[in-house]
Amino acid sequence: MKSKNNGKDFCMFALPGMFCFFAVVIVPFIYGVYLTFTDWNGVATVKNFVGFKNFGGVVKDAQFWSSLLLTFKYVIFVVIIVNVLAFAIAYLLTRGMKGENFFRAGFFTPNLIGGIVLGYIWQFVFSRVFVSIGESTGWKLFEVSWLSDPTNAFIALVVVSVWQLSGYMILIYVAGFMGLSEDVMEAASIDGASGFVKLKSIIMPLMMSSITICLFLTLSRAFMVYDVNLSLTAGAPYGTTEMAAMHVYEKAFTSRQFGVGQSEALILFIIVACISGIQVYLTKRQEVEA
Amino acid sequence: MRKKVMARLVSVVLIMVLMMTMLTGCRFGFASDPDDPNAEEKKEPIDTSTDTFEYDASLNGTNITLLNTKAEIQVALEEMGVEYEKKSGVHVEVMPVSDDSPYTKMISLYNSGNPPTIAILDTTDVIALAEEKGVDMSEEKWVSEAEGYLTKINGKIYSFPLCIEGRGIIYNKTVIEKALGETFDPASITTLDEFQAFLDRLVENGIEKPVSMAKEDWSLGAHHLQYIYETYDGTSEGAQKVVEEIKAGTLDLNTYNRMSEFLDIFDVLKEYNVAKGDPLGADYDEMAIDLADGKTAFWFNGNWAWPNLVEAGAEETDEYGFLPYFMNNDKEDFANQMIQGAPSKQVMVDRQIATEKEQAAGRQFLNWIVFSEIGQQMLVKTCNIIPPFQNNPYEPSDPLSRDIYEKVHAQKAFSASVIVPNDHWAVLGAAMQKYLAGRSDRRELMESIQDYWDEQE
Repeated sequence: MKSKNNGKDFCMFALPGMFCFFAVVIVPFIYGVYLTFTDWNGVATVKNFVGFKNFGGVVKDAQFWSSLLLTFKYVIFVVIIVNVLAFAIAYLLTRGMKGENFFRAGFFTPNLIGGIVLGYIWQFVFSRVFVSIGESTGWKLFEVSWLSDPTNAFIALVVVSVWQLSGYMILIYVAGFMGLSEDVMEAASIDGASGFVKLKSIIMPLMMSSITICLFLTLSRAFMVYDVNLSLTAGAPYGTTEMAAMHVYEKAFTSRQFGVGQSEALILFIIVACISGIQVYLTKRQEVEA
Repeated sequence: MRKKVMARLVSVVLIMVLMMTMLTGCRFGFASDPDDPNAEEKKEPIDTSTDTFEYDASLNGTNITLLNTKAEIQVALEEMGVEYEKKSGVHVEVMPVSDDSPYTKMISLYNSGNPPTIAILDTTDVIALAEEKGVDMSEEKWVSEAEGYLTKINGKIYSFPLCIEGRGIIYNKTVIEKALGETFDPASITTLDEFQAFLDRLVENGIEKPVSMAKEDWSLGAHHLQYIYETYDGTSEGAQKVVEEIKAGTLDLNTYNRMSEFLDIFDVLKEYNVAKGDPLGADYDEMAIDLADGKTAFWFNGNWAWPNLVEAGAEETDEYGFLPYFMNNDKEDFANQMIQGAPSKQVMVDRQIATEKEQAAGRQFLNWIVFSEIGQQMLVKTCNIIPPFQNNPYEPSDPLSRDIYEKVHAQKAFSASVIVPNDHWAVLGAAMQKYLAGRSDRRELMESIQDYWDEQE
């Protein structure tokens, strides 16, 4: 009786969702994997099976590997800076200071601006505002546009991404801090824990669930960065800031090597899935109940 | 307490969301959009009183779609569609492509089973798609009027050349004359040395950095670099021959004349570049302003730059024109006498999904553009296009297009269109940017070009 009812419930509640999930995620994914073994160009009516030739093309595509390396570098910087910054700001914003809500909203705002718009705004800042500051003050740092130098353009990308992502993470950390039990904090203080010890031994373990989410979100977002990359630098100067996702798109649609692009996308997916999976597994193990 | 805080937080966030959506709805004023479809300003009246075109009555009531990838003529094309419908009874729906590349848009439309009847594409797109999907138009009536501007794929014509676009070194005559205090005759400069001496004179007379150069990869990778193919002998066949030889490894770029000559003029432009201190930080919109205001006297670009110049304050009565891309000091060399003016934007008619009737209506529309008095006028006056058709008697009105039009008719333009892979401008544009920024030398640039061609199958 019970199991029968369960089946009906399952059909009623889970099936529509499952169907949508299959239709828009699983099926296209499998189809995408299938496409990596064909020479399809996106529009042709025939698809020829070519085996692993596309993956051979990926191996030969030096630009892809360098863009992947750059993406790793970018991810490391963004994930660390965003989380440290967001954690610190969230900590400050839950200590009962004046105008907390105003600051929370303020920090969150950049996250509401779409990546493309944000990229253009910052492009203006880096290549016009900074340059005119440099012109009027003579500061070497702002003399030329940051976006015309490979290193500075990369820094610019990190700065903008941090600015955009932190707000969202602050929100999650703020929620985490507000969920901390006053009793536990008080008990810790009475036991003589203060400052750094309290942070390390009490707050951090209790905040682990927020950290898991934030790390996961920043990792996957940073790996898949495309919009900011496109509108801020578009790979400039001379292709030195082209991240993996953008390279995949360029390969498929500009170079019109659909199969190779699709294979690169698959490789990128596997890398991101593995790294995020390991991260979630590791941080989940650290989580404790109050 | 916490509930109250949350409620306040939510309300603040909601207000921010609302404000941001309002703000993002506004246009940001600092970057003018060269493809702004609303840029069309004043229109010349179209005389619709005479029309000798013969319409096929059986097509009355047919609906066709037109994919437009030339955003600046969106409004004009819609108007053409309305006029065509009035006369022929065929309804033309014009679909714009704004964000995607034409090819990406075509891919998605074909995959959704809903491709346009007619599509305005780039030449490389036509080559990729035509044999499988395009109507063979080799026997069309308009073919005879577009001699010299046709693209053939295995001997067949699948596409209709929509316009001629030309490029070279744009000059602002008024600015030059004001600086030098004498009349300027563009024909007086015939070689690279003379051009450089002229630049020096401008510098002496107060225009410190007289040249603007776009840093965009399409400008560097396609419009600059392709001179090495196009100036081989000024024909499309010659250009293709160079490409084949570089690919096959039989032509060494290190000893190829046009390669070093190209770099010679490129170096001159680079030297007098207004953004010499930070060439990759150059801003496209600012270049138009600089040229119109007289901070610079030259801008390497094409007639598509006119809307930008208009936004920068230029008017149709101003005197702008093109100088050739001076490759060397030989006065007899055609490259020093002519500018490049080649067909761009090819129109293809679908045969895979479109019905016979729709195909016929689409083909009739193309012939209407070429042969009906209304179509001829609208192509030039409404779309502001330089027509590649010999029978079209109308002249474009803006100074850049007019200069190209006059040069085409005075045999002062060569039409060599080279067919290169679609990522040529992007990949080699990056290599050219590196050279422009002074971060690579001639040898490295040539190696990049050779490497690129070696990778092609």
